[in-house]
Amino acid sequence: MQLFIEQLINGCALGSLYAMFAVGFGLVFATLGILNAAHGTYASWAAIAALYATEQMGLPFPLALLAGVIAGGVLALVVDQIGFQPLRGRGAGMMGALITSIAFWIILDSLAGLATGQQSLSFPPGTTPSRMLHLGPILLPGIQLVSIGAMLLVTLGMHMLMRHTRFGSAMRAVGWNGTAAALGGVNPRMVVVATAFLAGATSGLAGVLAGVATQNVSFALGQGLMLKGFAAVVVGGYDDVRGAAVAGVSLGVLEVMSAQYLSSSLRDGITYVLLLGFLLLRPRGLFGRAAFVRA
Amino acid sequence: MLETVPRQNLLTLSGVGKSFGGVAAVSDLDLCVPTGSVTGLMGPNGAGKTTLINLISGMFRADRGTILLDAMPIQHLPSHEIAAAGIVRTYQNVRLFSGMTVLEQVMAGCFLRRGTSLFASFLGLPKARAAKLRTEAEARVLLERVGIADRADVLAETLSYGEQRRVEIARALGARPRLLLLDEPTAGMNAQESERIGQLVHELRDAGLTVVMVEHNVRLVKDFCDNVAVVNFGRMLVQGTAAHCIAHPDVQEAYFGRSRDAERVKAVG
Amino acid sequence: MEALADFWAAYQSTLGFVVVNAFFALSAYAALSTGVLSFATVAYAAFGGFIGAQLVLQTGIDPLLALPAAGLAGAGLAYAVGLLFLRLEGHWMALASLALVLITRVVVLNAATLTGGVNGLSVPYEVSLGALVVLLLIAMFAFHRLSVSWYGIASRAVREDPAVAASLGMVPRRVQTIAFVISGAVGGIGGMLLALTLQFLAPDTFFINIAFTMIAAVVLGGSYHWVGAVIGAAVFTALPVVMQALVPAIQDVANGAALLLIMIFVPRGLFDPRALALRRTPVAKAAGGPHA
Repeated sequence: MQLFIEQLINGCALGSLYAMFAVGFGLVFATLGILNAAHGTYASWAAIAALYATEQMGLPFPLALLAGVIAGGVLALVVDQIGFQPLRGRGAGMMGALITSIAFWIILDSLAGLATGQQSLSFPPGTTPSRMLHLGPILLPGIQLVSIGAMLLVTLGMHMLMRHTRFGSAMRAVGWNGTAAALGGVNPRMVVVATAFLAGATSGLAGVLAGVATQNVSFALGQGLMLKGFAAVVVGGYDDVRGAAVAGVSLGVLEVMSAQYLSSSLRDGITYVLLLGFLLLRPRGLFGRAAFVRA
Repeated sequence: MLETVPRQNLLTLSGVGKSFGGVAAVSDLDLCVPTGSVTGLMGPNGAGKTTLINLISGMFRADRGTILLDAMPIQHLPSHEIAAAGIVRTYQNVRLFSGMTVLEQVMAGCFLRRGTSLFASFLGLPKARAAKLRTEAEARVLLERVGIADRADVLAETLSYGEQRRVEIARALGARPRLLLLDEPTAGMNAQESERIGQLVHELRDAGLTVVMVEHNVRLVKDFCDNVAVVNFGRMLVQGTAAHCIAHPDVQEAYFGRSRDAERVKAVG
Repeated sequence: MEALADFWAAYQSTLGFVVVNAFFALSAYAALSTGVLSFATVAYAAFGGFIGAQLVLQTGIDPLLALPAAGLAGAGLAYAVGLLFLRLEGHWMALASLALVLITRVVVLNAATLTGGVNGLSVPYEVSLGALVVLLLIAMFAFHRLSVSWYGIASRAVREDPAVAASLGMVPRRVQTIAFVISGAVGGIGGMLLALTLQFLAPDTFFINIAFTMIAAVVLGGSYHWVGAVIGAAVFTALPVVMQALVPAIQDVANGAALLLIMIFVPRGLFDPRALALRRTPVAKAAGGPHA
């Protein structure tokens, strides 16, 4: 029983990382209509930035975390403006954006490999929350609670932003129809830039926490998050932040439980089968609403 | 073996209705298209004419009503089956295939009559090759018909608007349809070109084709249409000869407004 | 003479990979030529590759004789995929095919009898460069035949405007299914050729890398003609080698940068029949009144 609860929380913590990544990835997908192959690299680079801040600049963990988050956001912004913005002017469509994102994925992934010396690095001991907490008979790594807490904050905050602020309405309007949004007084460029930054920041947060939780900062970090985050976006519904979060956490729990109780080699299988199932049967996901009409 | 006598009406619509969301584009519409006639379809913008063409050709599915080709109901058939049954259309905003030459457009139109299987064509069997050459020759004849044979190997998208419309008509004729639906074939053309299209339509009719033509050009309709139907707000206003329809008070009102209003405007000054 | 022999030794394997990548690119092109973006080639390659390799390992027949089996396996899988996936709208189709790639790896990891599981499969057979080139030429000829046949006309029409194509009697779903079967056969053969070239199949061999690089090769080379697929594969395979010679430390970055530059400046790819045709067209008449 104790093991079950520990694994359950373990799964929730892992799922929280997926959920945060999914929120960012889904944001780009839903509002900008882009399947961004490079999105995972934002998470990798955020982790690298946080590591740098800790090791080289000696910053305490909260500031290093912030540094990582901002790094993720800035990187996303730069990629969007250099890579995707010219395509918007030309009306290039999904293919063009996808190939461009592949190009950036290659570039950023290789640069991350160079930055880490092709190795898996870890945070210096004592710089990150590593205490184990006691909840009755259960032993929890503190970082897991941090992850879950962060996920709840991010999800709630993003949901409030999207549904209850004017800026959120502007984001959704630009995603639906940029020209019409502009006619309504929204500056599409600013909205796109802000959306990209937010997407990169949330994924960056997931990346830093993943790097801490696994004590493994490498260029491969982002890819793992991206595949699961992508699955969460599809299963949860790409236009609802809460759906992506619920799906992300659920996928994390499913993954940990199936590895524990079924077979570790099927670990990823369930996630991807669910992904395919939803794509075939219910593309809008559990909580999604609108039909995907963008070109 | 019973000899089938061609029915009087090639196309019969009864009670056809189509709504988009809350908007009824077409409601309770009846239309008869006599075999071997040129039927003009008129009505103010937004009256539902193109929707009607879309419904007949299978691009949209009607919510209600029946569409009969001869005696066969076609209202629920997919568009490729409707094409195979003999109905082909052109488009209000010319929709030619990007990246294909004029000849290739018409060849695409001849797909239904290619006379060989895709596989035989891939293998390049002599019979398939002969069939393709035959089709190509027929395509060139069609280009002659619409007066554009000299531009056969040019990218269709580089042609002028009027020329593109003619290519589209040739493409539609490629399938040797029984019923040809033309959606504003003379839009953007000058008087001379429009006259040529009208004459072409008459030639097609004399060769046995039935034509339905969405037209705004009243003179063209009067000169070339045997039969006219006027639509407004998705409903049929009146059907009959061109003269009868144009003089009809309801049609006058649809286009020009009520005479009472005109007088009131005059009175105000 | 000595230098030439050295050069040949060094770049022979590159040529081999160009051929293999060309098969993958042609497989992706086959679907794309009817308007379908699909990454499923990776699955076809895995299926055909493992089945072909096992056939040779179990029966000892000449690898070249086992190629048709790989092609058939790929074609069969592609047909099934087409049945399930082709009713999806464009973007969902692409994403579903990506999910299929992810699942492929899980299946490869777990079907140990066929694939060797986590340890991979050793394939101690090889295929000569000459045979590879001949196979590619055969494939190119087949694509040429497809392009100039009625299938070619139908596929172009279905890609450009499926609604109009349907209104002329073509059945987009049918044309796309044929495209999938072709894609499967070519992908399956490519998978087996990869097995013979690498002489080892790891669980990660058939994964996202191939998926993305093959689509990039097609788009880079020109996605509107099969020649583009071959050109793109050649450039994409040769580019890293060139980069390695020029800027060894950052060759991957340079690859990505090159791809990015091509996307910005030549978005329709290096080989674009439409651009060539436009250049051949005499200057258009002055825009003004319509002209008889």
